[in-house]
Amino acid sequence: MTAEPTRGPRRLTRAPRAAQGVGVSVARPDGTLKVTGEFAYASDMWHEDMLWGHTLRSPHAHARVLSIDIAAALAVPGVYAVLTHDDLPTSQTRYGLECLDTPVLADGVVRHHGEPVALVAADHPETARRAAARIAVDYEPLPVVHDEATALADDAPVLHPHRDDHHAPHVRHPNIVHRQPVRRGDPDAAAARADVIVTGTYTVGMQDQAFLGPESGLAVPAEDGGVDLYVATQWLHSDLRQIAPVLGLPEDKVRMTLSGVGGAFGGREDLSMQIHGCLLALRTGKPVKMVYDRFQSFFGHVHRHPATLWYEHGATREGLLTHMRCRIVLDGGAYASSSPAVVGNAASLSAGPYVVDHVDIEALALYTNNPPCGAMRGFGAVQACFAYESQMDKLAAELGLDPVEFRRRNAMSQGSRLPTGQVVDAPAPVAELLRRVKALPLPPERQWETAGAAPDVRALPGGLSNTTHGEGVVRGVGYAVGIKNVGFSEGFDDYSTARVRLEVAGGEPVATVHTAAAEVGQGGVTVQAQIVRTELGVQQVTIQPADTRVGSAGSTSASRQTYMTGGAVRHTCEAIRERVLALGRARFGGTHPAWEHAELLLEDGKVVTEAGEVLAALADVLDGQAIDIEQEFRHRPTQPFDRMTGQGFGHVQYSFAAHRAVVEVDTELGLVKVVELACAQDVGKAVNPQAVAGQIQGGTVQGLGLAVMEEILVGPDAKVRNPSFTDYLIPTILDTPTLPVDILELADHHAPYGLRGAGEAPTLSSTPAVVSAIRAATGRALTRVPVRPEHITDTP
Amino acid sequence: MREFAYQRAGDVAGAVAAFAAAPGARYLGGGTNLVDLMKSGVESPERLIDVRGLGLDAVEEDADGGLRIGATVTNSDLAAHPGVRRRYPALAQAVLAGASGQLRNAATVGGNLLQRVRCGYFTDVTLPCNRRVPGSGCPAVDGEHHNHAVLGWSEHCVAVHPSDLGVALAAFDAVVSYETGAGPGELAYAALYPPVGDTPHRETSLPPGALITAVSLPAAPVAARSRYRKVRERASYAFATASVAAALEVRDGVVHDVRLAFGAVASRPWRAHAAERALTGAPATARAFGAAADAELAAARPLPHNGYKVPLLRNLMVSVLTELAEEAAR
Repeated sequence: MTAEPTRGPRRLTRAPRAAQGVGVSVARPDGTLKVTGEFAYASDMWHEDMLWGHTLRSPHAHARVLSIDIAAALAVPGVYAVLTHDDLPTSQTRYGLECLDTPVLADGVVRHHGEPVALVAADHPETARRAAARIAVDYEPLPVVHDEATALADDAPVLHPHRDDHHAPHVRHPNIVHRQPVRRGDPDAAAARADVIVTGTYTVGMQDQAFLGPESGLAVPAEDGGVDLYVATQWLHSDLRQIAPVLGLPEDKVRMTLSGVGGAFGGREDLSMQIHGCLLALRTGKPVKMVYDRFQSFFGHVHRHPATLWYEHGATREGLLTHMRCRIVLDGGAYASSSPAVVGNAASLSAGPYVVDHVDIEALALYTNNPPCGAMRGFGAVQACFAYESQMDKLAAELGLDPVEFRRRNAMSQGSRLPTGQVVDAPAPVAELLRRVKALPLPPERQWETAGAAPDVRALPGGLSNTTHGEGVVRGVGYAVGIKNVGFSEGFDDYSTARVRLEVAGGEPVATVHTAAAEVGQGGVTVQAQIVRTELGVQQVTIQPADTRVGSAGSTSASRQTYMTGGAVRHTCEAIRERVLALGRARFGGTHPAWEHAELLLEDGKVVTEAGEVLAALADVLDGQAIDIEQEFRHRPTQPFDRMTGQGFGHVQYSFAAHRAVVEVDTELGLVKVVELACAQDVGKAVNPQAVAGQIQGGTVQGLGLAVMEEILVGPDAKVRNPSFTDYLIPTILDTPTLPVDILELADHHAPYGLRGAGEAPTLSSTPAVVSAIRAATGRALTRVPVRPEHITDTP
Repeated sequence: MREFAYQRAGDVAGAVAAFAAAPGARYLGGGTNLVDLMKSGVESPERLIDVRGLGLDAVEEDADGGLRIGATVTNSDLAAHPGVRRRYPALAQAVLAGASGQLRNAATVGGNLLQRVRCGYFTDVTLPCNRRVPGSGCPAVDGEHHNHAVLGWSEHCVAVHPSDLGVALAAFDAVVSYETGAGPGELAYAALYPPVGDTPHRETSLPPGALITAVSLPAAPVAARSRYRKVRERASYAFATASVAAALEVRDGVVHDVRLAFGAVASRPWRAHAAERALTGAPATARAFGAAADAELAAARPLPHNGYKVPLLRNLMVSVLTELAEEAAR
């Protein structure tokens, strides 16, 4: 089954036309404020009489805390409180997204570099910092577990000896957080039919989300003994569920409001300062603000799991895959965070967007003393994509086939079965996406040459460093394609809530939308307003601040928010429309037969027939009344993967993107210039085409960063070496190539408007496409990302 | 950050006297390195003596072709100075290759020379570091040293000097002027950083309390045709993985005069004397440039994870000299 690519909006519902509605590149309300520096981020909040909180963190990766002496800190003038584990208000002193394994403050042991040990509140941030430095902590260093060998040794220190999470009974070593096999077919028999077999071991370094707005929040104690927390986060209700129990408060006494978020990428899915700020506010009775600096931020959030991936693929001479075996080891660091779900993704998506009937897959995450790892854009699928796409290139080369042609022969399509047994029941245009990026014209050769003038070094490796004028520069082109799940998987009850109010103000119908969806820069508030305009035919739409006075919206992650909260807003608007029409029938039913018999729409502030005949103005139908509805929206249910075979309808939707990378490599100096990184992606429906293109370009550049520069360096002592933007490099605009974007819209009929979550897929294939291009230019194997100069010049 | 006193000095003598009167004082220039180190606890001075108001912020052109650069000239002003750009283009290029525009607006020449190493073990006060705590050890030798030294290191310290500006100064025989309580003094830039040996904590050869007042560059006609090239892991805002400052004068196809210095490969900007000797009087060909690079790099001792720097440096040097030779032939 193939679906015809369409560029224009595809009518799935009989949604009326609406100015600034669905399918239009509406400008985001926060855009101008952000580029002019006027947007209020969480770190800009201010409260009269507020204190500043500071976190004392462990300098050790693994140590026993023998004693903590806070006397000198308390003696600092301006200090209001110093808190340690002993000051926690209830017996529940741990939190976590899935496993309650993370101490609010170290309880006798620290398990990673930078773990919070104590808190200070003072009248000035510098005072708080200085006081924290006076806290005397006596540590006894313990042996460090930093990789698979040390974590799984028979005599390895067990990092969490009293595990009671639901994965604990099923792992063979207590330092394994979770393990997911996926088995299907008969790989041994299939391997015997293979004409070529290639194996490889691939390594992915630890990537940081590198959001620009550091962790920030303001906790304000309330008269009822509760606390109001204003914070930059990804999922207010998940935070709330973790915060309230350790504060010893019922959830209705912890009221949360989203404040300005400066990027997230998964790094705000876990708690950072939330509990700490509330503890200090409740203790001091004063508002407490906490803002991490960049150093603290590197320790204040989880990172992308570093991974080692072993793969074996077989293929026939005709270029068809016979089987695949793989073993993916993810370093989860000291606490579980979202490691179990990352394992599920890595395992279930490890074969990539290809048809492979015979597989033997194992993915697992380790507990180590390295920094905790969890959610980051791509979530387990990024690591796998680097490995399987490297394997595809290797197989194609072995078979003498063009790498795109080889991929095409094995590409999945609608109706294909995944290794988990799940049948892909929506368009899966894998071959088409590859065809599209391949068909794009290549950037001209030797672009740096200018007529008669000096070369334009910006087009060369080394850039303005002026390291070459073209000598030793070799071009390479590489391709990659990836598959990412959308939404929460494995049987999770994934839903979002939207409250919409329709009323007349100043003679005009106006709508107000209230959700708890976190706007983290993705454009969610813009999309919500577009949907309301389309569904209710009103122009004026107000989006209320996201808070916990309305039901959960779920997380702004897993590429899910336009699908889920967009879906919830649409779902609620449909209920409002029904109510409007019922009111209209009651008031005006006798005046026109269409009230009873026709499909009616709301358009331009009026009730109209499909033919456009106006029946009544909304203002007259409402007649001073307001319609106010809150509803939940769920995607269709998924199932957990079978613990032994990994079989199950685990994911609700898939998202596909393909990249072509064009690089110029200075083979003598080992420098790479990515000159173009083209992406084709199927988004089902581009609700806001410009925002979609922005997501694709942003994800592509984040993948480029992982390919050639971004890595948190962690030594065998499990300590972070480069917690600063001076030493952790992210691409600047000078490192960013031309980014052509080709957006397909093949509707997924299960989803609102046919849309497909778009935020993550482009991060997957970007990295392997760049590395493939560097391989093409250099002939080197390049099995590790980020690729560094020494890998290209083949020196240690 | 610990509490500290701050004072503005009114003149050079006053600054030096204030420093002598306050044990644990530091001179403050642009603060782009020192203040960061104070925040991380690497530095904890009792007193900062701000030397930006001492009138040391001028670049003077000598009639004979040399330059005298005041110690508090900012990097931005230095790079923009027409005399610098004309007489020592590599110096202006080196400055512009470093840091960001904002940092260059604040950073001073004197501070640039005295900036500290970028080693992750040096900046993490919880770890041993012979530079920070003499005798405590050097974890970088067996640890993360991807961007550390390949020349002139000892097992006591393998960090590299991070300055770009300094590489050009090393190539052009700069002289550092300073003031002490006992009067003014001068020191060849080449002697400013003593060999690491077993005393990496002795970072300069300046007398105690000395305040750098100026850096002088003797006239060097060869410098008018000079280049600075820096290899780094992204296109901007990054320290070098290797860099070369080079000046070349060719007469009748033969190298008449040549200056070469390397950055990011040793604990100080590395003047490549062996390569210069090998080249002087040699034909100005890529082959000779390569042989000269080999002569210099024969002394290289790469660590397990930074061997890439040796061929990188060789290729970089050959490519810069080849380009200068081609220009000369035009």
